[in-house]
Amino acid sequence: MTKNKNILGRGVSYLIAAVGALVILLPFYVTVITAFKTPEQSAKNFFSFPTGLYLDNFKSVFEKAGYFKYFMNSVIVTVSSLILIYILVTMISYAIARSMRRSGYYKVIYGLIVLGMFVPFQVIMVPLVQFMGGLGLSNKFGLILLHVTYAAMQAVFLLVNYIRNVPEDLEEAAYIDGCTTVQAYVKIVLPLLKPMTSTVLVLNALWIWNDFQMPLMILNKLPETWTLPLFQYNFKSQYSFDYNMAFASYLIAMIPVLIAYICAQKHIVAGLTAGAVKS
Amino acid sequence: MKKSKVLNRNHILFLFTLPILIMYCVFFIIPLLMGMKNSFTDWSGTSPDYNFIGIKNYIDIFQDERFRNALIFNFKYTILLTVGTVIISLIIAIVLNQKIRGRGFFRSVFFLPAILSLVTVGLIWNELFYRVIPLIGEATGWGLFESSWLGSPKLAMYAILLVNLWQGCATPIVLLIAGLQSVPQDLYEAAAIDGANAWQRFKSITIPYLIPVLNIVIVTSVKGGLTTFDYIKAMTDGGPMQSTESVGILIYNHAMQEGRFGYSVAESMILFLIIALVSVVTMRMTENKKVGD
Repeated sequence: MTKNKNILGRGVSYLIAAVGALVILLPFYVTVITAFKTPEQSAKNFFSFPTGLYLDNFKSVFEKAGYFKYFMNSVIVTVSSLILIYILVTMISYAIARSMRRSGYYKVIYGLIVLGMFVPFQVIMVPLVQFMGGLGLSNKFGLILLHVTYAAMQAVFLLVNYIRNVPEDLEEAAYIDGCTTVQAYVKIVLPLLKPMTSTVLVLNALWIWNDFQMPLMILNKLPETWTLPLFQYNFKSQYSFDYNMAFASYLIAMIPVLIAYICAQKHIVAGLTAGAVKS
Repeated sequence: MKKSKVLNRNHILFLFTLPILIMYCVFFIIPLLMGMKNSFTDWSGTSPDYNFIGIKNYIDIFQDERFRNALIFNFKYTILLTVGTVIISLIIAIVLNQKIRGRGFFRSVFFLPAILSLVTVGLIWNELFYRVIPLIGEATGWGLFESSWLGSPKLAMYAILLVNLWQGCATPIVLLIAGLQSVPQDLYEAAAIDGANAWQRFKSITIPYLIPVLNIVIVTSVKGGLTTFDYIKAMTDGGPMQSTESVGILIYNHAMQEGRFGYSVAESMILFLIIALVSVVTMRMTENKKVGD
């Protein structure tokens, strides 16, 4: 009797997993096949496999839209932001975690920064546009600074809680051996924080690469600075009549992250869960 | 000698805090304060002069039907999104935590949507709704599938919700699987020996262990629902007939397209208060559960 129940349970499990996977993969399938078809082929049969290797859609996206430029913009913005987050956010989190009990100053800045997590972006969105314009920072550099600042709120929260559980013995031993604070931080502390810094970097890499709202506010008037999501959005409004070409542009925009995901899947998933499940 | 070293360390730790703190003040605190000031003015966003009009913006908002509709939309959307996310990702996580064949493959597939940009996802589904729904309609003859759901004021919200769930469940699934793996297996065995059935085991062992993860999942999707912007911008831009105009979209439209800067900031301040309130309530609710179990 229990055996029958087990078999039934397994069947249901496979059914759920299979149907779910189908639902997830269908849009990917449609994107790929449509990108390789002419509008006439798609009109004839939307779901059918492309008959030949038709590459004109991609050619148009690269030629008309200058895809490579936007790709480089996205790379520059994401990589610079992540480097700054890694250096600066870890620094302040370490200082806060080690001095919170001793000094009110650190307690106050910690509270202030964590509070920012609860402020929705729309609240600052409008004044921010005005303010960034006034500072002359409505460009990629300004966008990087904004990403770092807004990443800091959640990252400081995650890192401070993590560092507080890292024992201080090792650092103290290093001081006795004659290390300076900076040396001890770089050589001893940073390696110990790897699980949490990888969580923070994975979360923010996904967020910054895919972010649409901030670039829309800051960069929309300067087409040469667009990041990929912004290019996607504007490309779609411009070429909405040719949806095969639109799908080719979606596919091209997806490919960099898909490659990154396939190569680093284990690290991404491990990085994502390392911090989250513990807290 | 020792004292000077301690002092030195304190100085360095203080310096460590400065870069982010300065950026935080410049790019977060100052715009926030500027916004608060602007919410008491009638500034259009482009004209050089403006007047202080006290709390008139706030009073107007409470009588503004468009704002009220947007708020109702957000609440409906948030509740459905949160309940949907918890149920779907819990089911999938439990399935993928069993020893089924191809588990690794399924896990990779279910996380896939999380790496894509919300805009790309929105645009792809936009086309799918537009092209595929009528095909289903032709095949079945059902009125529900006559045309894209995004074009119907009644169905557009559910279409957006569907897309949001398609992508929004990916990260919770991964987190919940990790949470499930933290449950000690011998607890289940002991409970089974004591005669607990599957549902009892799930309720008294699995759920308490999952509470911290569920907490994160619920708070994130509540906040995501209340501030939803990208999908709507990519799929309906608030239409048809303002039926999917969320507060986020409304604020954007008022500020960027309708020249009501001051008014839109007042709206965003109210949104902030609502989100702060809802966040506190959500966290209290999940917190209590943890103690009760």
